[in-house]
Amino acid sequence: MKWSIIGAIVSKDLSLYFRNKFIAVITVLGIAAFLVIYLVMPGTASVTDVGLYAPVVPPAFAEEDNEHIVFVMVDSEAALREAVAGSDYSVGVALPADIMEKFARGEKPDVKIYSSPETTEEARELFRNFVKGLAFEQTGQLASFNETEIVLGTDLLGQDIPLRERMRPLFAVMLLMIEMFGLANLITVEVERRTVQGLLVTPMRVRELFAAKGISGIILSFVPAALFMAVVGGLNSQPLVILAAMLLGAIMVTGISFLVASLSNDFMSIIGWVFVVLIIMVIPAVGIMMPGTITGWAKAIPSYYLVLPVHQAAHYGSGWGDVWQYLLALAGFDLAFIGLGIMALRRKFQ
Amino acid sequence: MADMIVAENLAYWYGELVAVDHVSFNVAEGEILGFLGPNGAGKTTAVKMLTGLMRPKAGKAVVLGLDMAKNTEKVQGEMGVCFESANLYEQMSALENLKLFARLFGIDGFDPYALLKRVGLDGREKDRVETYSKGMKQRLMVARSIINRPKVLFLDEPTAGLDPSSSESILEIIREERERGATVLLTTHDMEEADKLSDRVAFMNKGKIAALDTPHNLKQQYGKRALKARVAVAGGKLEDREVVMDTPETAKAIQELFAREKVVTVHSEEATLEDIFIKITGRGLTG
Repeated sequence: MKWSIIGAIVSKDLSLYFRNKFIAVITVLGIAAFLVIYLVMPGTASVTDVGLYAPVVPPAFAEEDNEHIVFVMVDSEAALREAVAGSDYSVGVALPADIMEKFARGEKPDVKIYSSPETTEEARELFRNFVKGLAFEQTGQLASFNETEIVLGTDLLGQDIPLRERMRPLFAVMLLMIEMFGLANLITVEVERRTVQGLLVTPMRVRELFAAKGISGIILSFVPAALFMAVVGGLNSQPLVILAAMLLGAIMVTGISFLVASLSNDFMSIIGWVFVVLIIMVIPAVGIMMPGTITGWAKAIPSYYLVLPVHQAAHYGSGWGDVWQYLLALAGFDLAFIGLGIMALRRKFQ
Repeated sequence: MADMIVAENLAYWYGELVAVDHVSFNVAEGEILGFLGPNGAGKTTAVKMLTGLMRPKAGKAVVLGLDMAKNTEKVQGEMGVCFESANLYEQMSALENLKLFARLFGIDGFDPYALLKRVGLDGREKDRVETYSKGMKQRLMVARSIINRPKVLFLDEPTAGLDPSSSESILEIIREERERGATVLLTTHDMEEADKLSDRVAFMNKGKIAALDTPHNLKQQYGKRALKARVAVAGGKLEDREVVMDTPETAKAIQELFAREKVVTVHSEEATLEDIFIKITGRGLTG
């Protein structure tokens, strides 16, 4: 590899990229638009009302002062079920009438937790732990009640995180992906205007051309997304994990751009292909940001392995040990897309 | 002199269509070979194989004594290529285009201003190429192709569609390059241009070389020289007469022409390369 040649092509590509007014404008506007959307979104977490039926209210429940969860008393267990089923409350907790007596005797009272069908396992676990925490406060013992029934309910786990922060990884992924327009266009123009022939009769090798295009693509997709995350505080938790995931994401975007460029003859066809890819790639992002909206099939979409580690690292502080398997899968997709993209483009260059 | 370009039984086909059909020729050091043929004759495919843009399906392309397939990078560092259609970075200036290619060739201390002056683009160095006329773009293409002072120069229709002034300035650069010692393979439709510049010409037709020789020899072999006269006839009308040259009867025929007719104008005429091409291949260069 001759790095001076690769450097010359990368610097030419970056220069041409920003001389294309349309591409330059959508890049800058893209960052600005996502920043504006981020800033106008609610900056605080929403409050979840939890229905509580309790003939006798234990002091720990009565004194509970969680800023995100407010207990609303209902008159009967039947009314509680009806309210949860009607989505008046995301979750309902029914305590038995003899709860204090059982606590006093050291026995475990039966507690029922109701929720609506869309609730994820994560959300159910959250409320189970929340009620266990209150029971612990009351008795000083762990696992001090019998959880007798759980009715599935809506996403509550995510509601602990302000909406705009939940959307942050989605915006970053969108910024990564949107650069497919620019990179695919740079390559397509190079082929259609036959400038690539001019390059290929110099001492530059095809592999150096691919390396240059790859580096240009990674820079163009990674830098805006990383800048966005830095500006909105998305790198405050586990920055290296997030940056690594986004770098792998930028490589994947570059590979997909190679494929799009190999299928396109002009900017209109690029727009068509990129929109198809964008729609598919955004599905896992929506699903991860809003649990319960998609099912397991989304794991077959490569962007799932990009959004998930970014989401978990940014919101739950997940480290390398928690997300390595997702990053590994993403690296596998990178290899596949880059390999396929190079094969397809090589045919086009010839 | 050593052969700088050698095509050995070179062949390429696209499915059933044979573009280049086992072609062999050579170009000696410092020689200009005119590569003539109509569209679709296989000239461009042959040049692509010789410049390393395409791998031959059969045969071998040897440039500077090296097998192109095995030494592409090394040979390309010593050659220049000027394509028929301008493939410049139009959103960059002429200066930026040349600097980019100087970096690709690894040229240190390159003076783009001197080269741009040589092709008559001084004063417009910093303008974007998209603002250039066709002739200016073509001159920049030629400048780009000689940026590395190539030993071998491939020029594909360098003057196609240009005005006489732009055309002449490009022909002058080609002559200068030859004087410097460069070997030139000139692909063209323009037989007059090929005749003026080329030491030898190759006629390419349907993927094969139909003839290869000096323009003079081809004219001798396939053409006829004639004396064309315009004579005044009854009623003040003018008519053309032709006397074929180089025959035992030529002298007598000329004598009789002047004795019997009222000759108004007279001039000699030689066969053009196009006449010869048509005679050999049965089709015109523009066909």
